[in-house]
Amino acid sequence: MKIRIIKPGLLTTIQDMGRVNHLAQAVPFSGAMDKLSARIANLAVGNDTGHATIEFTQSGAAFVTESDMLLAFSGDGAWLRTSETRLPADRPIFVPSGTELYLENNKLGNCSYLAVAGGWDVPEVLGSRSTYITANFGDFNGRCLRENDELPNTELSTSTSRSLLTQLKGDSIRYPNWSIARELFLPADRKTIRVMKGREFDWFDAAAGIFLESYTISHNSNRMGYHLQGPQITRALPDELLSTAVCPGTIQVTNNGDLIMLMADCQTTGGYPRIAQVAAVDLPLCAQLKPGDAIRFKEISWKTAEKLYIQQQHDLYKLALAIARKYD
Amino acid sequence: MMNNAVGSNLTIYPISEGAVSIEFGNIIDEGISQQINRFNLLLSEKSFAGMYQTVPAYTSLTIFYHPAVTIKSGLPGNYCFDKVCNYLRQLNSEVSPASTIPEGELVYIPVYYGGKTGPDLDFVATYHQITTEEVIRLHSSAVYKVYMMGFIPGFAYLGGLNDLLETPRKTTPVKVPAGSVGIAGKQTGVYPLAVPGGWQIIGQSPVELFNAAKEQPALLKAGDRVKFEAISLNDFENYRRR
Repeated sequence: MKIRIIKPGLLTTIQDMGRVNHLAQAVPFSGAMDKLSARIANLAVGNDTGHATIEFTQSGAAFVTESDMLLAFSGDGAWLRTSETRLPADRPIFVPSGTELYLENNKLGNCSYLAVAGGWDVPEVLGSRSTYITANFGDFNGRCLRENDELPNTELSTSTSRSLLTQLKGDSIRYPNWSIARELFLPADRKTIRVMKGREFDWFDAAAGIFLESYTISHNSNRMGYHLQGPQITRALPDELLSTAVCPGTIQVTNNGDLIMLMADCQTTGGYPRIAQVAAVDLPLCAQLKPGDAIRFKEISWKTAEKLYIQQQHDLYKLALAIARKYD
Repeated sequence: MMNNAVGSNLTIYPISEGAVSIEFGNIIDEGISQQINRFNLLLSEKSFAGMYQTVPAYTSLTIFYHPAVTIKSGLPGNYCFDKVCNYLRQLNSEVSPASTIPEGELVYIPVYYGGKTGPDLDFVATYHQITTEEVIRLHSSAVYKVYMMGFIPGFAYLGGLNDLLETPRKTTPVKVPAGSVGIAGKQTGVYPLAVPGGWQIIGQSPVELFNAAKEQPALLKAGDRVKFEAISLNDFENYRRR
């Protein structure tokens, strides 16, 4: 199976679950911004969690299938479509060779994921296939995808993928009548982000104000992090924080009192005080934010956050089992 | 007092659902750094279920784990955070404060100072009203300590810059090539990758600080010691050709 990029779109990269084993050498996590959508796209074609997906930013990209393919699309940045029809997300789709597919604007979010049965065949760098542009990690010398780049898959690794392909294979686009209910993993209100108090929360005057105010994603936002526009936070303590480990979801306060929310490609350490940490289950919501979007923060306890995260991991595991059972 | 974290009262706080930091103090200090490295070494020998990485910093050690794995471990506690805290406190009670840790590796880094690849050497000399030779002598005679890794892959935060070389950073960052050796405030360091930076660049090293193809991709690690060696342009170019 193979696709060829016709139009690369805004920022298109290969991403998996991230590069987690070299944090001590200051190698960032990277990986899919919206790990939930990337996982669901993989699950829909019978892949394991860690297979590489293509991450698209908003709409505009186009590609052509150069062989018969088993694909799945997920996320809120775009709709996948042919020139005639929009294709359903969050389910396996058989696409015959020579089909041109486009990403059509979806106002709901920012990024989308394309999974292929077997996963995209790109080399691992430091235990991950994720592109990290700053250090040129990943295939294509770590750059974003361009016109005429060709992406093959690896051999199908699960019996689920193989039976899905056998069942759906044909002369035209075909998909089953089920899909993964991704919305069940997400809260109804996608603009209220649950956060926990950060270590330096008490360093600020009226820090609880962040739970009352609205913040807007600025244009100065990327895979490393988002600058948030809103009321500035003033310091109650003049202490200087010495650089310490940070991770995606950390909300820092700069010396000007502005908030920065760290995202997938953030540095492994930071020296700005940490006012809050985004709950891991709400990071997919943050990944779908675009410049101009307004959000609010709602405080939850660290214990609640941990419980929600473990529950979500458990639900995704059960979902994978259910799909495997259906096709084995 | 403030750096006496060894004892029963380890200060531990969560930084995410899958990571906790242990706080060992709040100043840059050789003793604190040694405590962190000692604990890190112990933890690398005795990890717990789900743990996958540790990140030492100036005054903290952060431990990353997979909550879905750790929660199923038999460690006491109903939450991963409690389980991990209990484990770390138990482990800490086994640390003997007197136990010595292996001295960090001494890594020599050759540097060609000045010239086209050290465009700010003259500025640093003029700023301190000393000769460029004196800047080179002061910079290459000290033994630096790697307190932590951060910023970009393979970048080491070094302690031990001579006070006489403290120089403010540039107002506007410029793109510097990999291997550039810079000074910013009380810090000195080597850029492993070509990135924009605001440090005063006094030279360049032909040595590769980071190579993703290697099993140990970074040349330096927390706890190491670094000594810069001044080399000639000729040596620099020969080294590059190798």
